[in-house]
Amino acid sequence: MQLRDYIIRRLLILPILIFGVSVIVFTLTRIGGSPIGVYLSHEMNAEEVAALEERFHLNEPLYTQYWYWLKAALSGDFGYSGVASAPVAEVFWPKFAATMELSIFSAAVAVTLGLWLGVFAGTRRNKWQDHVTRVVAVSGASLPLFWFGIILLIVFWANLGWFPVGRSNAEIWASIAHPTGFYIVDSILAGSWQGLVDALWHLTLPAITLGFGAVAIITRMMRSALVEELQQDYVDAARAKGLPERLVLNRHAKRNALVPTVTVIGLTIAFLMQGAIAAEIIYRWPGLGRWMASAVVRGDQATIMTYVLFTSVLFLFANLIVDIIYAKLDPRVRLGD
Amino acid sequence: MAVTDLPTPPKRETAFGVRMRRWRDLLKTLLSNPTTFIGFLIIFLLLAMAIFAPFLAPPNVPDPYQMPRDWGATRMPPGTPGFPLGTTNQGGDVLYGVIWGSRTSLQLSVIVVSVTVVIGIAIGSIAGLVGGWIDETLMRIVDVFLSIPELIFALAVAAILGPSFTNIILSLCIVFWVKYARIMRAQIILIRQADYVQAARVIGDTKLSIFFKDMLPNASTPIAVQATLDMGNIVLVGATLSFIGLAESGIAEWGVLVSEGQAGIASGRWWASTFPGLMIFLWALAFNLVGDGLRDALDPRTEDKR
Amino acid sequence: MTHQEEGLKMGPIKVVLSAAVVSLMLPAVAFAQQTIVHGADEEPATLDPAEVEPGEGGESIIFHVYERLLTVGAGSSDLVPQLATEVPSLENGLISEDGRTYTFPLREGVTFHDGSPFTADDVKYSWDRVMELELPGSGYEVLSDRVAETRVVDDFTFEVTLQDIDASFLYSAVLPMTASIVSDEVVEANGGIVAGESNEFLSGNMVGTGPYVFGTWNRTENLSLTVNDGYWGTKANDNVRLEFGLDPDVRVLGLRAGEYDTIETDPTYVPDFSGAEGVSVYSEGLLLEPLHIGFNTNIPEGSMPSGDTISSDFFADVRIRQAFNHAFDYGAFIQGALGGFGQVNPHYVPIGVFGYDPDAPIYGEQNLAEAERLLREAGVWDEGFTVTVIVESGSLFEIQGLILKDSIESMNPDMRINVLGVAEAVFDEALVSSPLTYPMWAKNGDPAADPIDYLQTYAHPDGEWGEIHGFRNMYQDPDRIADLIDAAAVELDRDTRAGMISELQTLLYEDPMWIIGAQEGAVTAYRDRIQGMVLQPLWPRPSINFAILDKTE
Repeated sequence: MQLRDYIIRRLLILPILIFGVSVIVFTLTRIGGSPIGVYLSHEMNAEEVAALEERFHLNEPLYTQYWYWLKAALSGDFGYSGVASAPVAEVFWPKFAATMELSIFSAAVAVTLGLWLGVFAGTRRNKWQDHVTRVVAVSGASLPLFWFGIILLIVFWANLGWFPVGRSNAEIWASIAHPTGFYIVDSILAGSWQGLVDALWHLTLPAITLGFGAVAIITRMMRSALVEELQQDYVDAARAKGLPERLVLNRHAKRNALVPTVTVIGLTIAFLMQGAIAAEIIYRWPGLGRWMASAVVRGDQATIMTYVLFTSVLFLFANLIVDIIYAKLDPRVRLGD
Repeated sequence: MAVTDLPTPPKRETAFGVRMRRWRDLLKTLLSNPTTFIGFLIIFLLLAMAIFAPFLAPPNVPDPYQMPRDWGATRMPPGTPGFPLGTTNQGGDVLYGVIWGSRTSLQLSVIVVSVTVVIGIAIGSIAGLVGGWIDETLMRIVDVFLSIPELIFALAVAAILGPSFTNIILSLCIVFWVKYARIMRAQIILIRQADYVQAARVIGDTKLSIFFKDMLPNASTPIAVQATLDMGNIVLVGATLSFIGLAESGIAEWGVLVSEGQAGIASGRWWASTFPGLMIFLWALAFNLVGDGLRDALDPRTEDKR
Repeated sequence: MTHQEEGLKMGPIKVVLSAAVVSLMLPAVAFAQQTIVHGADEEPATLDPAEVEPGEGGESIIFHVYERLLTVGAGSSDLVPQLATEVPSLENGLISEDGRTYTFPLREGVTFHDGSPFTADDVKYSWDRVMELELPGSGYEVLSDRVAETRVVDDFTFEVTLQDIDASFLYSAVLPMTASIVSDEVVEANGGIVAGESNEFLSGNMVGTGPYVFGTWNRTENLSLTVNDGYWGTKANDNVRLEFGLDPDVRVLGLRAGEYDTIETDPTYVPDFSGAEGVSVYSEGLLLEPLHIGFNTNIPEGSMPSGDTISSDFFADVRIRQAFNHAFDYGAFIQGALGGFGQVNPHYVPIGVFGYDPDAPIYGEQNLAEAERLLREAGVWDEGFTVTVIVESGSLFEIQGLILKDSIESMNPDMRINVLGVAEAVFDEALVSSPLTYPMWAKNGDPAADPIDYLQTYAHPDGEWGEIHGFRNMYQDPDRIADLIDAAAVELDRDTRAGMISELQTLLYEDPMWIIGAQEGAVTAYRDRIQGMVLQPLWPRPSINFAILDKTE
């Protein structure tokens, strides 16, 4: 199958999957209770509650309700978030930007550390360094993020005072305009050195917390890919030609080992989206994850719906892009499975 | 994942023996790897703790899975007589929580893994064996499930079911079966083409006996790898859900204890969340190490060229 | 009682903050005027006085930006004039002879934050607006249930006629945030009044007369208030920024680290601050929101929570209700959960409210022997039972439920209490659904300043909860209680009224409709750079008036 056809096919399946996700999540939310919980208060009487039910079509069958929801969602109306006291669509962007900023930095931490550890372990296969690296990497994946974050917070914020919590210093944040919602980008656009430093300073701890968890995935893949490459004939040939080991490694093996490692980017993104929930709660990061956590505890259905749908869409697109890159990089990959 | 089996000897009577030998070899490889060995050791200790919980800490009456609360002894530091690991804000004995929490975690992971493995095998087998539009439909459903990141899906489901430990189990069961279905189906399709299955069919074995004698055992290795990893992962995800507030409070569960103990950390009361947090970490670490070792031992790419 | 004293003794603890931490934690930018940073709990749902739900987070913001005719000062529950110039009374003739017409002389020269002048028209407009909108969930009933007519006498005189004589009018209707005065010009320019519909402009903006001007509101993040330089009274010292959506633990950490100056917290966290550098603890008086567990007998056949073995008239037996009240471990709740900051509380006339009789009998000490005797007598001891109490998970009320569970189950393992923790929205939905299908639920009562508000809502057989829970089937003599509450509501003579309320306290002790775990202490922790901290339980939660605080460095 041609790459172009493959991409087209995948793109055609995408809306079906998104539709499926929306049906599942919608059904679940409505089974679990009505979406009007966030509107209710103890002061209301029965007629007022009935009026609300009427307004949200709760007396109609489930598929009709879904239809109303879908129609609204397609026109950009994702309902009203009780947690944010505002329509979901209205508060979405700044939170999205905050989460993406954190995720990108965490990914940077994870990729840098993960690739380095993967090479370190892969070139010292079955030596003690390999075992130690494995334990470190697997530890990252086994740490309860919410617990690890708390411990970093206690040490570096409450006790040492080296790093702040939250996303910004309120005064500095207010002193610059925010056309994009990405603090770093906004600071650069505004030419605010202070803003940039503030942004990076706030990013450090949460990015380390979140990134460390994702290290394992990358390390594991890089290590096994490198081990495989180092057993290839061309490596033996290169060595036989008398090429220094460093050159063999850098010029050939590492570069080739990167190709299969690309495939775990999708996994990494899923991991970061999931981990962001705990990291954002602990570091008071004003992103989607913290919003979701409050929505979950308070039963805010519109937010839960939107969040799950959004992360799935993001996840699906990420996987698609990864597959395309992989297919381009590695001609041996068979398409169409 | 590809199947790595060497061509099976033609004499089918020895197939069982071959498989046993292969498992023994596998175990030997695993135990010779120091990190995997550490993993096994931790698992062994944690299981012992769970099994002997009633002897290590006398069960609370009437419900042993509820923390015993001594309201006269709240916030006691470790080393307090009667409370070697201290107490929580609600006067709960941290040691009791750590010990009985291992039972809760064991319950959680064993129930979820066995339920999801069974569902996964059933659905994967139906899809793989029946094929056609049933296969197509089931696999599209699997695709939809796989499009939602696990923790987020479980979080949404648990939130909707309402906060309780039972609902956490239920939500994880709803989320975690898909991978097994996919593995099972892939194995069946691969094996169906394999020579020895064709041979068995010629000999006249029924579909059912082929399934049980050849397909299921062959699929068991990748499923075992996934199940081992999930044993750790599920406790991690479950603890995250209860940390966020989706379990009933007062139960002896590690995530709940970390969440409750969080309140005191800033005031120097580190113990109430540190010990249970450490237990979650050890649990997940142990199963990840073993799962990782298992995967490497079975993965053809990392096998030595000899 | 000794518990309480012990708690109060913790007093303000002041330790100087080390300079090193200050330099790291404080904003790099310095302003002439300081900003008090408050770690708040919940995001306000609305900033419109006509829409805000009593007890909800928006109230304290409305409190600072809008004003009302009357208010209460720090340290006393006496009414003092705010936008009025006098408190109406029979003595000063501002309450008519028949007790139904109240006259309010108004302050002259006050302007709204947009510059428009304040007159009697604004008062009439504001009150009429609340009653016309009748927004669900808001506190409109406090006005619409009482007011017959509002009149503008002249620019600075406002008059209101009541439907009936009402001894609690000033406290219960004039004081609440619902009765805040908005500018008629501002409302008319921004959508006006549409009955039954909330005003989008007013839900997100405020133009009041108060000491603070509404600044910015970043939804789910923070809200800022700036000092009103043209305020008619004593100007506020510092600007305020409220930070929302923080975990209680993060608020505690933030206060310790100096990131917040004041925080909303509950007594559970306060003992942790003893000895903390730079943090003071304020503890004086009690909140007016009794922590209670309700008994419900109005559950239709087959709607009982699964697993419950009781019949729907289980709590109709007064002995069982008494037994539960005897069994509850009050000491554990106050010492363990509330950290000593709380007090046992008489039946639905909280301490600090008019008519509270310290000599009336109360439940306040666990008495398992008496509880056992009553349960045996009621015939439920041997067979046992399982009964569910629904609570909001992770709340103080859940702990109250757990203590009830521990108390009852410790007597006899066959008697089981199932504490069902659910999300806030689910709990709210369960509580407003009719009929209410849970035999017990735990929460706190709405704060009020007059005993009749409490008694009407929580004790009257035909009151809000009386109807929901079926008090008429539960009280041994419902009419006697009803008549007494009705009589006390219209009794203008203070002594006679106090006598009636005292009698009610005894009756409600003998025939309890709630388990009241405790009355929570009014307590908070704050940075010691904040001067003049006072909590007044009659101010909306967190009961702080930022305008009288001063941030020093």
